Amino acid sequence: MVLLLDLLTTAAMLFVVTAGLMMIFGVMKIVNFAHGALLTLGGYASYVTTQLKLDPWLSWPLALIAGVMVGMVVEWLIVKPLYKRPLDAILATWGLGIVIGQLIVMGFGREVQFVDSPLSGTWSIAGVDYSAYRLLLVPVAVALCLLLTGLLNGTRFGIRTRAVIMNEALASGLGIHSGWVRFVTFSLGAGLGTLAGTMITPLSSVDPNMGMPWLVSAFMLVMVSGHSMPSLMLTCVVFGACQVLVSTYASPVLGGLTIAVLAAVTLRIRPKGFAHG
Amino acid sequence: MKTFERFFRLSAMAATATIAVNAYAADPIKIGVAVGLSGANSVVAPAVVQSSQLAVDEINAAGGILGRKVELEIVDDASGAVGAQKAFDTLVFQKKVNAIIAMETSAARNAALPVVSKGKVPFIYTSFYEGRSCNNSMYVNGWVPEQQVAPVVDYFSKNKNAKTFFLVGSDYAFGRGMLDFTRKYIEQKGGKVVGEEYLPIDGSDWTSVVSKIRSAKPDALISATAGGAPNVSLAKQLKGAGMTTPYGNLAIDEGTAKTMGEVANGLYVSASYLTSIDTPENKKFMAAMTKKFGADLKTPNELSEPQYEAFYLYKAAVEKAGSTDSVKVIPTLGGVSFNGPRGNVQMNKSRHTPLSMRLGQVQADGSIQILETFANVDPGEQCPNIK
Repeated sequence: MVLLLDLLTTAAMLFVVTAGLMMIFGVMKIVNFAHGALLTLGGYASYVTTQLKLDPWLSWPLALIAGVMVGMVVEWLIVKPLYKRPLDAILATWGLGIVIGQLIVMGFGREVQFVDSPLSGTWSIAGVDYSAYRLLLVPVAVALCLLLTGLLNGTRFGIRTRAVIMNEALASGLGIHSGWVRFVTFSLGAGLGTLAGTMITPLSSVDPNMGMPWLVSAFMLVMVSGHSMPSLMLTCVVFGACQVLVSTYASPVLGGLTIAVLAAVTLRIRPKGFAHG
Repeated sequence: MKTFERFFRLSAMAATATIAVNAYAADPIKIGVAVGLSGANSVVAPAVVQSSQLAVDEINAAGGILGRKVELEIVDDASGAVGAQKAFDTLVFQKKVNAIIAMETSAARNAALPVVSKGKVPFIYTSFYEGRSCNNSMYVNGWVPEQQVAPVVDYFSKNKNAKTFFLVGSDYAFGRGMLDFTRKYIEQKGGKVVGEEYLPIDGSDWTSVVSKIRSAKPDALISATAGGAPNVSLAKQLKGAGMTTPYGNLAIDEGTAKTMGEVANGLYVSASYLTSIDTPENKKFMAAMTKKFGADLKTPNELSEPQYEAFYLYKAAVEKAGSTDSVKVIPTLGGVSFNGPRGNVQMNKSRHTPLSMRLGQVQADGSIQILETFANVDPGEQCPNIK
């Protein structure tokens, strides 16, 4: 039972952390190396909330708003000229990640910060006491997945976004304002990144490098899962499960490698990715 | 009356000037401090720099060493092996320091030792570490596993009636070294290790480890992770899982415990220095630190306080040797002692230092209450081949 809960909550955590990258990298094909820094930014949104003595739950909307705003500025200033130059975009976002990290160090210092957790304690499920916050992440991840799928597949905005990604010239010819669509999608992706950063603070330390360990796994998962949210969810469940199983039955040191190795193998066998996209 | 006053003032000034000239007539004694102003150690570096400054100021205010002024040379080592080698090189051959007093990571220390040997400069290593690093020019005044592990294990066995232990660490030299020793010590005392798990050094997802601890149901848990992030994420996830097993942390400093807030509450730590040590020497040290740095004060800790002591130990050695000549000072360093905030310290046990170890427990307000003091814990034969 504990193992099953470990599997589910790990998958949920991976999904939450990866969703923002999915919008930017999976959907828009911009390799966003600043995703780790966006996660960190979200962590500091929690820190600010704690410092202002606000309800910890408020850190979620606060992080989302901060992230969207940062995303808007970044898209307008840095990413906009680089849509046709993906290699330059890699360098630009990499540099941006370093800049955000350093700004955080200058603003808040290098040390580990204390953050209030919105939910603590355990819930009892089928006779097992399990971390309440981790359990909460499962419905949150599912809701997020449904919401984003609905947005991308069920709304006019989603159709326009996909049209712009598939064939920008044609989409523009049909009267879709492609620049605006990219602007909104990028900002939303950035907002999801910071939101995820806030959501993982009860499980991780808040320091200027907190986002980095998640970055590689997030990239692997998105690369393998193509560009649809449900396939990302599926990938998170399968790869997360493998990670937990390897950690439990072999060793956690190997568990840390599982996602990277599995992703490499999957891409070797099926270059199009794990889930049909 | 006026003229007399003026004359008096003038002569007083002249007198001060003469004393100053006499006191600092010779070249200053330069002491090098290599510290991670950038990189991973930059969290602790400011505290180390502050305690070095206090020591130098105090020594200079009391007339310096052998009448010579002490000068501090602080160099960034970027917290790593390459940076440390460069920093030590700069200190020894460019700045020509008389001694080096520094905390380093184990990798950085090993990289820097050849430079120290080549330059034949006395080096006091002020960091705790996994033990058994030996060099003719080096003395150590931090703790080694022999000193730090025993209080935790003994306290858990005696007061918590613990027989089974679970060990958790980060996968690197310090984590593995500490827990290897802990395992041996537990088994030697008749306890049993029911699990030993590691995560890569930058790992922060302890899911499976927490579940394993839960199913092993140990009487006590002991961890030796990398400082900072892994430590905090482990403590958070243990707390989140509702674990109430007594938990001893071999790798946490007082400042981090404070910033962890509620998460650290109840944690056991073993240290040679804690700010709450109740001795006149420590109170004096704390008061001097607070007075000098005010609001900018970084909490003195297990790495910064030995740094402070080391300056006084070097001073005593130079005064006993009667010169700063390395050939005379190095053998003398083990023979002098200093009564400081941690008590009386003397680096006389094969280049290492018998220390009074304190077992403390983190309180709800983040302060650490000392539960038991283990006096003069022996470091063991760390370097049997060095005289």
